[in-house]
Amino acid sequence: MNKKTRRNIHRAAKRTTFYIFVTGVVIAMLLPIYFVVSLSFLSTREAYRYPLPLLPELKIHYKMTHGERGYLLSVYDQIDKEYQTVMDTQDLDKMSVYMKSQLGAPMSVSEIQQQIARLDTEDPIYFTRRKNLLYNYQTFFQVAGTGQAVPALIRSLEICAMTIVISLFIGGMAGYAFARYYFKGRNALKFSVLFVRMFPGVAIAMPMVIILVNMGFYDQPIGLSLVYSVGSIALTIWITASIFMGIPISLEEAAQVFGATKIQTFIRITLPLALPGLAACAMYAFLGAWNETVAAIILTQFNPTFSVVVYQTVLGAVGQVNLAAAGGIVMALPAVLFTFFIRRYIHQMWGGVTV
Amino acid sequence: MATLQLKNLTKRFGKKVVAVKGINLEVHDGEYLVLLGPSGCGKTTTLRMIAGLEEATDGEIILDGVDITDLPPRKRDISMVFQSYAVWPHMTVYENIAFALKLKKLSRSEIDRTVREVAGMTKIGDYLDRYPTQLSGGQRQRVAVARAIAVKPKLFLMDEPLSNLDAKLRVATRTELKAIHNKTHATTVFVTHDQSEAMSIADRIVIMKDGEIMQIGTPEEVYNESASIFVADFIGTPPTNFIDVQVVAAGGTLHLVNPHLKLPLSPENAARLKGQEQRNLILGIRPENLTLTGETEANLSAPCLVAEPQGSHQVVSIELDDKLLKIIAPARPAVHSGEMVHLKFKQESLRFFDPQTGQRI
Ligand SMILES: Nc1ncnc2c1ncn2[C@@H]1O[C@H](COP(=O)(O)OP(=O)(O)OP(=O)(O)O)[C@@H](O)[C@H]1O
Ligand SMILES: [Mg+2]
Repeated sequence: MNKKTRRNIHRAAKRTTFYIFVTGVVIAMLLPIYFVVSLSFLSTREAYRYPLPLLPELKIHYKMTHGERGYLLSVYDQIDKEYQTVMDTQDLDKMSVYMKSQLGAPMSVSEIQQQIARLDTEDPIYFTRRKNLLYNYQTFFQVAGTGQAVPALIRSLEICAMTIVISLFIGGMAGYAFARYYFKGRNALKFSVLFVRMFPGVAIAMPMVIILVNMGFYDQPIGLSLVYSVGSIALTIWITASIFMGIPISLEEAAQVFGATKIQTFIRITLPLALPGLAACAMYAFLGAWNETVAAIILTQFNPTFSVVVYQTVLGAVGQVNLAAAGGIVMALPAVLFTFFIRRYIHQMWGGVTV
Repeated sequence: MATLQLKNLTKRFGKKVVAVKGINLEVHDGEYLVLLGPSGCGKTTTLRMIAGLEEATDGEIILDGVDITDLPPRKRDISMVFQSYAVWPHMTVYENIAFALKLKKLSRSEIDRTVREVAGMTKIGDYLDRYPTQLSGGQRQRVAVARAIAVKPKLFLMDEPLSNLDAKLRVATRTELKAIHNKTHATTVFVTHDQSEAMSIADRIVIMKDGEIMQIGTPEEVYNESASIFVADFIGTPPTNFIDVQVVAAGGTLHLVNPHLKLPLSPENAARLKGQEQRNLILGIRPENLTLTGETEANLSAPCLVAEPQGSHQVVSIELDDKLLKIIAPARPAVHSGEMVHLKFKQESLRFFDPQTGQRI
């Protein structure tokens, strides 16, 4: 074995180790996500079976025969490769509900009766139904917060939008001031804005309730977005201050020499250059406001946010992890979409290099 | 094109720092004026006050007879090339050049024509669609120049526009800048701390030190008729040689005397120093005005310390009172270190300075 092959082997071994490591990390991150997504499509019966199926079934194969108490219903189990009895009853309403809520392959009472009619000629009978994969999601939106899910979703988006606007506007301006102007106590002040983030929301919940009630903002989207802004303004100030500091002041001066007013300079030079940082701030503000639950529970009463609704459903959905999973996915989806949307701006580049 | 006047222009930073100390200056129409001085002498501050980027503490800035001291930068009708170029990274080259023209609300076709014209002049026509980060330093510098000339300003300001280029490109670019100036004839104030750059492009040079103007003159004037030790030392490479001497009358003429030297003066020089017998002064002489001669004619003889061949000439150094004396001599015959060199002083090139004030006598 000469030196060159040894070096090649060494290099290959190194690369292989690296990929194994990376794959491991990726799997560790993706596995929980995969399970939640898959769980959200499982029927209740599937969700509580052991071992847990990796993928939801798309069709349910029913078998029916005469039982001791009425009609004996069995479903085919893909894992055990056999029909398993699920109920023995005469009550077709109950059977229909069970098919819908536990098996996820609904049939109306009259459809069941049609099948039962076939029992006269053959026994047992077999029939197949498509599974309603979105059953959990439909249920979630119907059940959650007793029909509150959609308004709560809209309300949450509203709150997020307001939080982004408020924190970018105030935080961005403060960040610019911290970056461009020198004044006494600048660093102390800049540090002290982080102070608000040191308190957990629960700790200052009561004062917040009182203040919001006094302002007339209790149980209002604007009230919550104000509360969320307090936290994200601090972060926005820090991010934008460093972004603005990174923009050479001569770029602004050049614009002024070449005929721009201060406002024009800000809009046409500073703002576009700061866009990646502002996008990152918007993302933080969105995620913070979207996922926040504790303050939302305390500060809302009849107008809960979406996170509160999901939280309540998850709490109330004892024995329905699949439903909770669907709620979680619905909760995560806007955040994921927004993050992907804003990613374009965070990675904004001009000819290959960021500012 | 325009004339610029600075009257008693002053800039203070805080209470202690006086960056510019009441300078008076007139820039003629179409002139290429260079502000030259060591680091921290207030060149940039002066330029920024003219541009309006820095508020003047005192004094007036008058452009074409109009007092612009308190106008914001955009109303001054000037343009500037920044040391860091300050081309906007989020705009293409085309957009960079067109920015000011758009703000002036010119028509699209007019903007397009101007952009292409100045891009051709600065040889960046092929890069108009690129972003600045896709250009080399030299190309970016051209974009900055193109952007500045596109607006056809009354006055051009340049703050060390070549200092970020490598030595060779710097020399090539300064020639191009001068060529562009010869086409546009725009009144220009150019800042640099590089004296050879100043000498090669300036119509007139303003030499500054510690916020004050030391001398204003054409390159020949500041070189040959330096007004002070500072200027004589600052201009030229190698700089002027300075020798402490005493004026002594002997044998019907005046001599400059020092333990190593007894230099009889020509009638013109003697006339200039008439009545100053016994006075101590500083003799300044440029390296090329010391010539190598035979032993008998020499005013000064000393062993060569080092000789640095430069191809076209050689720089010979000798030591005199712990100070180096440099001589620019023809390349041949080559001088070797240790060899005795015999020097003759060119009488018409002797300059006398007051040791106390540093001013020319
Ligand atoms: N913003 C400021 N605050 C306080 N002092 C300043 C400020 N700007 C400049 N100065 C001081 O003013 C003096 C002149 O500075 P200036 O930048 O004009 O020098 P310069 O001649 O351009 O030097 P260089 O060749 O290094 O660019 C310096 O002593 C500098 O320290
Ligand atoms: Mg400077």
